[in-house]
Amino acid sequence: MSDPMGAAISIDRLTVRFGDIVAVDDVSLSIGEGEFVSIVGPSGCGKTTILNLLTGLVPLQDGRISLLGKTPVAGNPDVAYMLARDCLLPWRTTLANACYGMEVRGIDEATRTRRAGALLARVGLAGFEDKWPKQLSHGMRQRCALARTFALDSPVMLMDEPFGALDAQTKLQLEDLLLELWSAQRRTVVFITHDLAEAVAMSDRVVVMSARPGRIVADLKIDLERPRHVRALQKDRHFLDVYAHVWEKLEEGLGSTAGAIT
Amino acid sequence: MSGVRASTVATHAAAIAAFLGVWELAMRQEWLAQTFFGQPSGIAAYLWDGFVTGRRLWRDLGYTVAGTLISFVLGSVAALALGLVFVMFPRIERALDPYLTVLNAMPRLALAPLFLLWFGLGLGSKVAVGTSLAFFIVLANTVAGIRGVSQDLVTLSRSLGATPRQVFFKVTLPSAVPVIFSGLRLALIYSMLGVVGAELIAAEHGLGQVLAYLQSTFNMNGVMALLALLALLGMIVTQGMTRLEKALLRWQ
Repeated sequence: MSDPMGAAISIDRLTVRFGDIVAVDDVSLSIGEGEFVSIVGPSGCGKTTILNLLTGLVPLQDGRISLLGKTPVAGNPDVAYMLARDCLLPWRTTLANACYGMEVRGIDEATRTRRAGALLARVGLAGFEDKWPKQLSHGMRQRCALARTFALDSPVMLMDEPFGALDAQTKLQLEDLLLELWSAQRRTVVFITHDLAEAVAMSDRVVVMSARPGRIVADLKIDLERPRHVRALQKDRHFLDVYAHVWEKLEEGLGSTAGAIT
Repeated sequence: MSGVRASTVATHAAAIAAFLGVWELAMRQEWLAQTFFGQPSGIAAYLWDGFVTGRRLWRDLGYTVAGTLISFVLGSVAALALGLVFVMFPRIERALDPYLTVLNAMPRLALAPLFLLWFGLGLGSKVAVGTSLAFFIVLANTVAGIRGVSQDLVTLSRSLGATPRQVFFKVTLPSAVPVIFSGLRLALIYSMLGVVGAELIAAEHGLGQVLAYLQSTFNMNGVMALLALLALLGMIVTQGMTRLEKALLRWQ
């Protein structure tokens, strides 16, 4: 674990209860600036809860969280948030959707349009600026959501299974796209997924959580070289070794619940 | 495309012509009683006289249309305003809900005689009936539309730092528009029903009043003509709303 002093995010002895249920149990985690960290675990392990706490949308109960030195609050401009559902506003065009985050944060229109336009081109949506979301495929909609997220200059990005709803091929494409966008700026990313291969291929570190109550059972450094190409990695010997190693650790940590992870 | 449309129109025209032809024939052969069904040529003659030669029907049409539009606007605006209040202050909604349910359960046409006493024989009583119908429809749809906003969109907006005001104007309201609109469309039709219904009971002017008079004097051609006219009016109103909806909701 990196030094908490230089950490972008540090979570200290976090416990979350919903009524009698302990969703997150005594979790401590430190994420360095510019680090790409995935949190994997079976559904119900509290990974989304941790993310929601980081966004400030859910109040902190027990423990401490520091995000760039501050306690998380909803609407923190340091944070950009992305979900599995694209959350495009159906009454806005692609361009207006890509502008939405900046608009809410009060960035002037000229800057918004310029930045959103450039990002849409980078995510492969040039020429689709004036289309409505219903006219786009799932993959295209999620590309637009990526553009909306990266258009914000927040140093921390929180992603909750952003590609969870996509088919395998589209998913690989978007994973590569995300890595490409990320490597240009190296912002801090917390990436929630239940897909171990995705986590290994994308991240600097994979944090494995157990089923309820959610605890960290493994925290593994992924020493694959960057820049990575997720699609090429699928056949890469070293990647497969690392993947097998992580899988092993995960089974050790999870015991019988490992079957819940793919 | 236009070829298909033209042939569809032609098919419908032929079917309607055949129906009217058989009807006319049945009357001329006296297979059915003229007194009860009227006959197409007589209906056409009535309408021609009413709108072209005698021009008496224009004024009644004007009263009915005016009553409908005034009811629609009053009812919708009041309902939209109260709907917003309900969403902002759910406690007010909870407090008023039983009373509104009772009011809405009342058959509005049964209230028409009362409204006639309160608001007179003229347009006022017609507008009262129409408004009371339009109001509840739009109110229910406004509340449902606003409540039906996708929580994901709200969550995303809040995480981005949107203020409650921004969430309302940028997310909640636009997402409610389609539901509100389907309420408005229905409210327009019901405004017309309310106005015509009230006119049937008692009025100085209006298509409903003419219809009641024709019925009482067994002028079946006139009755049929007015029914056709009301159906046409309803269709025009619905079409107009559909067009407006399409223009406003291109994203759907």
